[in-house]
Amino acid sequence: MMLAQRAIPRDTTLGEWFTDPQSWTGSAGILASLGDTVVLCLAVILTSSLLAVPTAAYLAHHRLAQVTSAWLVNIGRALPTFAVAALLVPVSLRGGYGFEPWPIFIALVLLTVPPMFLSTYVAVREVDPAAVDAARAMGFTERAVLRSVELPLASTVIFTGLRVAGVQVVATEPIRAFLGGDGLGRYIRDGIGQNNATLTIGGTILIAALAGITGLVFSATERLIKPYGVRRLRAHRKPRSGDADEEPDLGDTDEFASHHGAAVGRMR
Amino acid sequence: MLAITALLLAACGNGEEAADQDLDIPDGPTIEIRGQDFSEAITLAEVYGQYLDALGYDVDIHSPAGFRDEAVSDLEAGTLNMIVDYIGGSQAQLAPDAEPSSDPDEVMEIISEAYADIGATVLDYTPAIDGDAFVVRGDLDAETISDVADMDLVLGASAQCFERPQCYIGFTDVYGIEFADTQTIEFGPLLGEALDAGEVDAVVWNDTAPQIEEFGFKVLEDDEGIFPAQNIAPILDDSLIEAYGDDLVNAINELSAMITTDDLLDWNFETDIEFRESDDVATEWLEEQGLI
Repeated sequence: MMLAQRAIPRDTTLGEWFTDPQSWTGSAGILASLGDTVVLCLAVILTSSLLAVPTAAYLAHHRLAQVTSAWLVNIGRALPTFAVAALLVPVSLRGGYGFEPWPIFIALVLLTVPPMFLSTYVAVREVDPAAVDAARAMGFTERAVLRSVELPLASTVIFTGLRVAGVQVVATEPIRAFLGGDGLGRYIRDGIGQNNATLTIGGTILIAALAGITGLVFSATERLIKPYGVRRLRAHRKPRSGDADEEPDLGDTDEFASHHGAAVGRMR
Repeated sequence: MLAITALLLAACGNGEEAADQDLDIPDGPTIEIRGQDFSEAITLAEVYGQYLDALGYDVDIHSPAGFRDEAVSDLEAGTLNMIVDYIGGSQAQLAPDAEPSSDPDEVMEIISEAYADIGATVLDYTPAIDGDAFVVRGDLDAETISDVADMDLVLGASAQCFERPQCYIGFTDVYGIEFADTQTIEFGPLLGEALDAGEVDAVVWNDTAPQIEEFGFKVLEDDEGIFPAQNIAPILDDSLIEAYGDDLVNAINELSAMITTDDLLDWNFETDIEFRESDDVATEWLEEQGLI
């Protein structure tokens, strides 16, 4: 006998729900739901970044499709994710692919490609032309200019775009529960359906927490894999442009990010 | 939006007539009605709303939202002062501990009392019935719900079903069915798509879902009688009855008496299969009946 649909009484408090081991285990438990959500989100983030970042970097380097890509990005951002997924569900069912994962996967990829594309495109385009020309003068091929100069210099802004998109995926993924799927959204769905505020709020807390953790994981990853040269660059630029102060200033990184963040904002 | 547009259109179309009748109608609160968010309930709200509007009452047909929970709590909160609900469903909502019954009069007695507690009155129920239905694909070798007890079916139903003794808990406890798996699916056409695609083997739907015939599904007999009587009744906040008196009550009862199960099937066919708008379907029906 499976307990996937254990009914939670309405008078259960949040504390009781979170501390009851039964809430966490089983096929409808928080751990299994968390696993469902994390796997889908990772798949979406990986797919989207593989689609968006190389394309945007290539196009931006060659200054191609500036108007077209801005236009496509804007259309992409206007697509209502829930509607896209809901329209795809019957198609998927009739095709024999089931409720999951294709409809929600495609809808979330469409949600995340535009911001990732946009941040990469802007970041690469805004790289200091002097650095690019210097690399060319030293005999770098165009490919090497992109790989060794533009992408490293653009990496901070690209990462910001990935992080924003990643958090957005985690916060949006719960709609799958309303389309025949599971994941953490199931508690919100059941809470609304059964008029059970504990479930709705509990589910919301879990999703918000996961979204917050996702942001932190992205920041940590960024620190780990940011190219060594870029980190060194930050440390060296200040003394050169400033004067007496020899100490590298960590605040400079934020300044750089916010400057480019503003550029991203402008293009929107 | 559509509801509002329809309301405006309806109001325009019947401007003269309504103006004449306005004289007989005392001042009172605007009738705030809203359909639950599935097509039959939306059409029902439009039918009642447009009918009362044509009689000259001030009516605001809200955009459809939520299900029974939201309807009842908004009636209680005063956001709505008229709702339309299935009587057995109302009983499950307001008097969950009372014994479910397949006799509408018994159900009415229970819910009249329960609604009185929140300051509302249940008017006459319709001849139309739209009960829960245990729906399977046409090729399944079963005629009653008892027949499927050992078939290891996968059940698809809405989130509400899984906590109700008149639904999932009744299947497991009264019928002793052990489902191989369950899947929560929003109430609506997705249930039919999932059943047709073989994602699930049985769904809890309603008798008047037009897709049942469309897809060649069949409804199994509820041989243990766990599904309650589900005639439809309008429920009014007492403030409306105080303000408008018996004229309003009689007018509504007259309309309710005319709505049959076949009407529901026709409406649902128009909205769910032909994809027409509920407000148009309602207007057309009211015109056919000579009510507006």
